[in-house]
Amino acid sequence: MANFTTDAKICIERDLEITNKQHVYEDLITRFDILETCKWITDNNYAKVCLQFPDDLLNVSAAIYEEIKTRTNIDLYILGDTSYASCCVDSVAVMHVKGDAVIHYGHSCFTKSNIPVYIVLPKTELNFDVTEKLLLENFKLDEPIQLCLFYDAEYEHSKDKIAKFWFQEYPQSYLAFVQIEESDKRILGRIIKNKKDEDVSVEFLKDCICIHIGSRGQTLFNFTVSIPALKWYLLEPGNNRVDILEETVWFKRRRFLVEKCKDANVIGILVCKLAGDQTKDIISRMKKICKVNGKKSYIISVGKPNVAKLANFPEIDIYVMIACPENDLYNNRDFYKPIVYPFELEVALNSNRESFYNYHVTDYDELLPGKRHYCDISHVKEATDVSLITGNIRETKIQSVEEGSMDLAVKQNWALENIGQNLQERSWKGLEQKLGETEVKSAEEGRKGIPLQYSNEPE
Amino acid sequence: MVNFTVDEIRGMMDKKRNIRNMSVIAHVDHGKSTLTDSLVSKAGIIAGARAGETRFTDTRKDEQDRCITIKSTAISMYFELEEKDLVFITNPDQREKSEKGFLINLIDSPGHVDFSSEVTAALRVTDGALVVVDCVSGVCVQTETVLRQAIAERIKPILFMNKMDRALLELQLESEELYQTFQRIVENVNVIIATYSDDSGPMGEVRVDPSKGSVGFGSGLHGWAFTLKQFAEMYADKFKIDLVKLMNRLWGENFFNANTKKWAKQRDNDNKRSFCMYVLDPIYKVFSAIMNFRKEEIESLLKKIGVTLKHEDADKDGKALLKVVMRTWLPAGEALLQMIAIHLPSPVVAQKYRMEMLYEGPHDDEAAIGIKTCDPEAPLMMYVSKMVPTSDKGRFYAFGRVFSGKVVTGQKARIMGPNFTPGKREDLYEKTIQRTILMMGRYVEAIEDVPSGNICGLVGVDQFLVKTGTITTFKNAHNMKVMKFSVSPVVRVAVEPKNPADLPKLVEGLKRLAKSDPMVQCINEESGEHIVAGAGELHLEICLKDLEEDHACIPIKKSDPVVSYRETVSEESDQMCLSKSPNKHNRLFMRAAPMPDGLPEDIDEGKVNPRDDFKTRARYLCDKFEYDITEARKIWCFGPEGTGPNILVDCSKGVQYLNEIKDSVVAGFQWAAKEGVMAEENLRGVRFNIYDVTLHTDAIHRGGGQIIPTTRRCLYACLLTAAPRLMEPVYLCEIQCPEVAVGGIYGVLNRRRGHVFEESQVAGTPMFVVKAYLPVNESFGFTADLRSNTGGQAFPQCVFDHWQILPGDPCEAGTKPYNVVQETRKRKGLKDGLPDLTQYLDKL
Repeated sequence: MANFTTDAKICIERDLEITNKQHVYEDLITRFDILETCKWITDNNYAKVCLQFPDDLLNVSAAIYEEIKTRTNIDLYILGDTSYASCCVDSVAVMHVKGDAVIHYGHSCFTKSNIPVYIVLPKTELNFDVTEKLLLENFKLDEPIQLCLFYDAEYEHSKDKIAKFWFQEYPQSYLAFVQIEESDKRILGRIIKNKKDEDVSVEFLKDCICIHIGSRGQTLFNFTVSIPALKWYLLEPGNNRVDILEETVWFKRRRFLVEKCKDANVIGILVCKLAGDQTKDIISRMKKICKVNGKKSYIISVGKPNVAKLANFPEIDIYVMIACPENDLYNNRDFYKPIVYPFELEVALNSNRESFYNYHVTDYDELLPGKRHYCDISHVKEATDVSLITGNIRETKIQSVEEGSMDLAVKQNWALENIGQNLQERSWKGLEQKLGETEVKSAEEGRKGIPLQYSNEPE
Repeated sequence: MVNFTVDEIRGMMDKKRNIRNMSVIAHVDHGKSTLTDSLVSKAGIIAGARAGETRFTDTRKDEQDRCITIKSTAISMYFELEEKDLVFITNPDQREKSEKGFLINLIDSPGHVDFSSEVTAALRVTDGALVVVDCVSGVCVQTETVLRQAIAERIKPILFMNKMDRALLELQLESEELYQTFQRIVENVNVIIATYSDDSGPMGEVRVDPSKGSVGFGSGLHGWAFTLKQFAEMYADKFKIDLVKLMNRLWGENFFNANTKKWAKQRDNDNKRSFCMYVLDPIYKVFSAIMNFRKEEIESLLKKIGVTLKHEDADKDGKALLKVVMRTWLPAGEALLQMIAIHLPSPVVAQKYRMEMLYEGPHDDEAAIGIKTCDPEAPLMMYVSKMVPTSDKGRFYAFGRVFSGKVVTGQKARIMGPNFTPGKREDLYEKTIQRTILMMGRYVEAIEDVPSGNICGLVGVDQFLVKTGTITTFKNAHNMKVMKFSVSPVVRVAVEPKNPADLPKLVEGLKRLAKSDPMVQCINEESGEHIVAGAGELHLEICLKDLEEDHACIPIKKSDPVVSYRETVSEESDQMCLSKSPNKHNRLFMRAAPMPDGLPEDIDEGKVNPRDDFKTRARYLCDKFEYDITEARKIWCFGPEGTGPNILVDCSKGVQYLNEIKDSVVAGFQWAAKEGVMAEENLRGVRFNIYDVTLHTDAIHRGGGQIIPTTRRCLYACLLTAAPRLMEPVYLCEIQCPEVAVGGIYGVLNRRRGHVFEESQVAGTPMFVVKAYLPVNESFGFTADLRSNTGGQAFPQCVFDHWQILPGDPCEAGTKPYNVVQETRKRKGLKDGLPDLTQYLDKL
């Protein structure tokens, strides 16, 4: 039997990765906005609604289901184990059950979806005494520099209290509110307002010091790299401290990757998000940018990417990942080939864009036509340049459409040649018959067992 | 007034037997540029009176200010040789019949060791070398290095003893002493030559010999020089001896008795060495008469040596008069010209034996034959050895030598970079040559075309080459061999713009800097830092100054100089390392072991390289390093970059599907060899053995995705279990100083972890030479430190020599390597602390 089953010891000793964040919630109804949710459902007459939970809330999913079910009596589905990231709405799963709407629980990245979504934000009590004390201690009112306060979405439920305090103490300052609905001025799910409740453009923050109440994480990271501000501070009420945040090291690394994009000949467009029309738009935009620069591109969809899956395409030089900006794979150094943001590919290959940037655009949505960071793609001239990474000459080979047909044919051959070259460099060219090269031997006993462990392997 | 025109030069270019391509090489401060002035003034480009002070070939302002040559500079000159001298050229390939004009393409090169890549680039395009030695300090370390390089490139040397004025005026050497000094230098030079070549070699006799006229003596600063030929000519008629015979008599153990008028081979009381008597004595007389202001004696002497002073010089006395007299009597330009024209090979002669050193392709294809015969009608083969900045910022002249065919303005040619391989498209461009130009020191002259055997510059190919390359019209041409430098870029600084928004300008500047210097490396590292790497502190200083002022034109922040480290192992892995693929169905069993001493160096030098036939390579490894022959035949690859000094060896037996995963394992190996486990530095001197591999029977489950990351993990586990170590670069440091300063040197070296391995006195001088190994990391500020501790009397020359293990375990907190690892990790934005073995090692 040992050959057919895994050794029991291995099963017991194997480490499983479980995030141990299982809470018991006493007051489900207020904590998860059950009443508001039910009202939203009945107001809109949805008949089939999905409840999407992140892994750490799955333990209360049944209870919430019960609460909503008893109040609305419609078809409800619980969605767990989302295909890409639990912060995004899993519209594909919703479509599988032909749902009308989604209730999203847990941390959200606020990106647009083509299905009606009701977002139930997590709630954490904010320690006002500590927060106020820290703010007043660290940020003086009389400084000429303006301030802007951000707060984590989990404090959204106390936003009125925060706003009252903030504008009372710092009347000239700004406050970034959580904004779930799509709007022009919204950036990364936030909208900035002044004391008179007027919307303020994000450009105003250039000369501001921004303070974020909350904890470290991808959300805050995205703020610090994509919202241009004088300085960024993190105020952690739990730890009773204020830290300054600097991402210069990260920016250096990303600029290196931009250079790497310029060096790449084959680019993989890694699709890790399916929801929303803008995904299609950004994919075709990425394709176009590659084509204009004479680079080959392949669209790759492998579900949730991991090291092993991506290393299956050794001919690809760099991946551009279309995914939720809250994804942390961009910074993972274990991948065989690096992964870049769509913005970085744009900086590298779109000659209309400034080659130097102080801040990042993590949300690819912003790159699309009509958005804040849209930039035309123009035709690229054939040119050469020295790569500081390889120390060699790199050439922009263009496949131009306007030129004569003869030219086109020649250059297509180039592309063919390139593919051929990639394969030529492999030493394994397929099954080797080796006729006559192997000596004749009588059959001998081969390997036994299952791939997990064969019987002849050393212990 | 320049005594030739561009048209004349162009005319000469076709007379390939009357061309001499030569470089001037020497130790720093031995007077190359000053001596070159003599020839430049003979050509009428600068006034004779200013020769020796102008240093015409030092074209940059900082070269003039610092009195040091930084870039090699080429200049083409036209001279005519007298009929009586032409007969000395016996080889029919060394002169065109009935042509007395000679075209000399001269390259003046820097002497400081930090710039020796410029020397390498100069040597490649020339056939002969004028080796200048300061007769006061003798043969120095850099003399030896450049001479060795010249011989290796099959460049024929001639020797010039410079600074005789100092020997006479400052040191006041006796004539016999001076002879002994000369004799010793000639001997030293010949010893070096003999070490790297022999007379039966393809170049024929390479040794220098004063009695043949291939050794010159004189003073570049004062503008006078002679060979024994000049003196023999003076005496030949008087003695009625054949010129050649007399030249032989004037050197070596030949003594003349003035009373008996007899020659002897041995020294006696009443005879005198002929060299002293006939060559040195007259010079000594002139010197002493003039320097002691003995008017009457001067007059009679001048008459004897046939010098008539010009009116404006009549009032001069002392040193000024001495200069004028010596320069008129023994003009340096004339002596040099004769040495060059008679003893250095023409391209026709040189290319015959240089072809096999120059061309990578088969030695019988059209290009090879074109080079061998220096045929202007053959397909074009030109080697671009360096880029010379133009006045147009960011553009460069591609400077090089036409070895075969003709390079023509407007011609369409193939431009092949160093990564080009025949039959592939990589690093290959077909473009038009916009213009061909003649390099004339600080000026350039446009020229229609340039035939084989000449040196020239090209406009319009700089965008397709980084530093060097081959230009050809032959479709099946292979590359010309890339140059090998004697120095390595081991000192690094990180640069960033003072104003962050200037970054694009900095990047642009770095690209230009990378082109403008044959060796500097401008690297954008994984961490995003921009690194400039050079041979030494001086080299970097000049590069950074150029970057700031000429290439980027923005204010720059630079880090302190640092060195790059290498990761290695010191023992064999203490266990068989197993790593499983993500699906757990493929398992790799490997170990790491250090390479035997000398093997990494052999790989660096290309003695063991991936392109060798695997059987001969295995034989070599077996004989020299006692590798098992069957294992040595199964070296899968070298790395990083496919060529580095680490190997992956297949020691497995009878593993199924192994060939199928080879590419994936190699990819993983290249990855791990480039980014080691400790601090993501390159590996060095590590041999990885694959002992066993278990693979899933379905091909789909053993693809690259499963194998590549697993290989890397397994190799990391191997490294961590094999007592990992760091290696640091070490300089070979040669210091010259008087005896009193030696103590100070030891003190400084001890403080800097250096150790002396040789100390000797330079024969015939009060100078000592101390040779030591000094870690590059400890060398920053060494020169200044040394000077302050020796009263400014010691002058070091440091050149990268080898890699050495930094003592201590990088895994043990508090040791030096540990700190280096942590600093590097921090700089690269990696996690603090040490890599965790359990992350890489799996259990069954």
